Amino acid sequence: MAGKIKRHSIIEILEHWILAISGIILIFTGLGCLPLFKRYYIAEIPGLAWTGDFNTVTTVHYIASIFFVMAVSFHIFYHGIRGEFGLLPKRGDFGQSIKVLSAMFGIGEEPPSDKYLPEQRLAYVGMGIVIVVITLTGIIKVLKNLEWIVLSPNVESINTVIHTLSGFVFMIAFVIHVGIVICFKSNWPLLKSMFTGWIDEDYVKQRHSLWYKKIKNEISEMEK
Amino acid sequence: MKLTRRGFFVLSSAILSSIILKDKSYATSGKYATLIDITRCDGCSNEPLPKCVLACRVQNKVRFPEPKKPIIPYWPRKTYEDWSDKKEKIDTLTPYNWIFVQKLQIKGKEIFIPRRCMHCDNPPCVRGCPFGALTKRPAGNSVINEKICFGGAKCRDVCPWFIPQRQAGVGIYLHLLPKFAGGGVMYKCDLCKDKIEKGEEPACVVACKDRLKEKSVFLFGERKTIYELARQRAKDEGLFIYGDKQNGGTSTLYLSKVSFDDINKALIEKRERFKMPVEVKNKIQTTFNPIGKVVISSGFLSIIGAVVAAIISKHKEKGGDENGR
Repeated sequence: MAGKIKRHSIIEILEHWILAISGIILIFTGLGCLPLFKRYYIAEIPGLAWTGDFNTVTTVHYIASIFFVMAVSFHIFYHGIRGEFGLLPKRGDFGQSIKVLSAMFGIGEEPPSDKYLPEQRLAYVGMGIVIVVITLTGIIKVLKNLEWIVLSPNVESINTVIHTLSGFVFMIAFVIHVGIVICFKSNWPLLKSMFTGWIDEDYVKQRHSLWYKKIKNEISEMEK
Repeated sequence: MKLTRRGFFVLSSAILSSIILKDKSYATSGKYATLIDITRCDGCSNEPLPKCVLACRVQNKVRFPEPKKPIIPYWPRKTYEDWSDKKEKIDTLTPYNWIFVQKLQIKGKEIFIPRRCMHCDNPPCVRGCPFGALTKRPAGNSVINEKICFGGAKCRDVCPWFIPQRQAGVGIYLHLLPKFAGGGVMYKCDLCKDKIEKGEEPACVVACKDRLKEKSVFLFGERKTIYELARQRAKDEGLFIYGDKQNGGTSTLYLSKVSFDDINKALIEKRERFKMPVEVKNKIQTTFNPIGKVVISSGFLSIIGAVVAAIISKHKEKGGDENGR
């Protein structure tokens, strides 16, 4: 594709959107597992009466978790085995992230970036840890309900609290993630690439100059 | 200190065993059960109030809520649940009354049914509490930790018998966002948790035994013994059992001469808050667990798929590189 650079494979796009859609459903039904929707009249909105029934909400939560767990497991093992660790933080990412975020607000110049922005690498690890905690505590809840594992009462309690609290953190992280993408125009091409897999060469040259250099070096190596 | 592979497994096993119960058999069904023989209950008709009710109130008085007033309504609603001015009410379950006796007339006969938490084997209240405030204890009792209960009343909504009762104006929610989240603390029978942990019997059982001796309505003991006794008596005397199958099994068995279908019909006719439906399915077992199995198996399949896909794609890339050279 002329003037375009491949940023995401079809596997990465699928992983991202399966995680995103199931994540949204899990956040919504997770909130529904708290006694909130009836109290706040959500269950009285036409079409949302089901959200007032804990059994229905939990059933939908369980169904969405099938896709969430699949996407998380696949992501860890597929990219782990392939040695794709480009999204893991590098030394100096914290300072660089501040510069990137300041530049989004028009303060200073954005430093040259690799395939991923430093703040994306930090956010990935933060989000990753939260997702792993939610997934593991959720799986423990499922296994405990199945009586395939037996936990002491206190451990069961602690696991439940961790699952609920990490759910809140996930919700906040999710809102920040979506907010940063939508609110800053400089990030819109990245959103587009999450659908198409491709990104403008000019954009890469300007914002991901380190990555661009690597691509150009690879091409010239291949041509030799 | 170098950790050998053997050492790692020993350490892992020690950590695991510390979090998993020593005796697995107690964890699901529980060690004890109660038999409530309603063929013997007369509702303590010659007493000012039923002995079981009185004993429960005396035993748990120190734990009854003392709400901070004025109580804030559950915004955006204008209501709140306050039983503090009905502390003496004994004809229903309240945060101040954890057992009560229902009185029914069926085919000209008077029937008295002591009602309290059934202590389910797989309790929806425990599994559903988002704050882990409820636990199922190895003795078989479900216990509310009033220190971390937010009073959202989900436990009451998912309970097939709607047993836990809420008192506003008390609990942890007052320290966070009392207007917007939480609603107090939930209260219910916990089978006198401190007493049974010491090997004693619950207060209601002791009080009934004191009054009726060997004809006591309540019998508390090892679950296996109670179940066997209830089934034997049901067979020998043609009685009906309630609680062994309902909601997947419970630690409370009722014995009655009248069928529980008839009892439930009478409770419905009387518009009682607390009914005794015979068909009570445990949603965890019938709905959530089958999906849970899909969650676990699809997670495993996904890992296998990821490993295969990664190996194949790496192999192809390697082949491509070599061809390119």
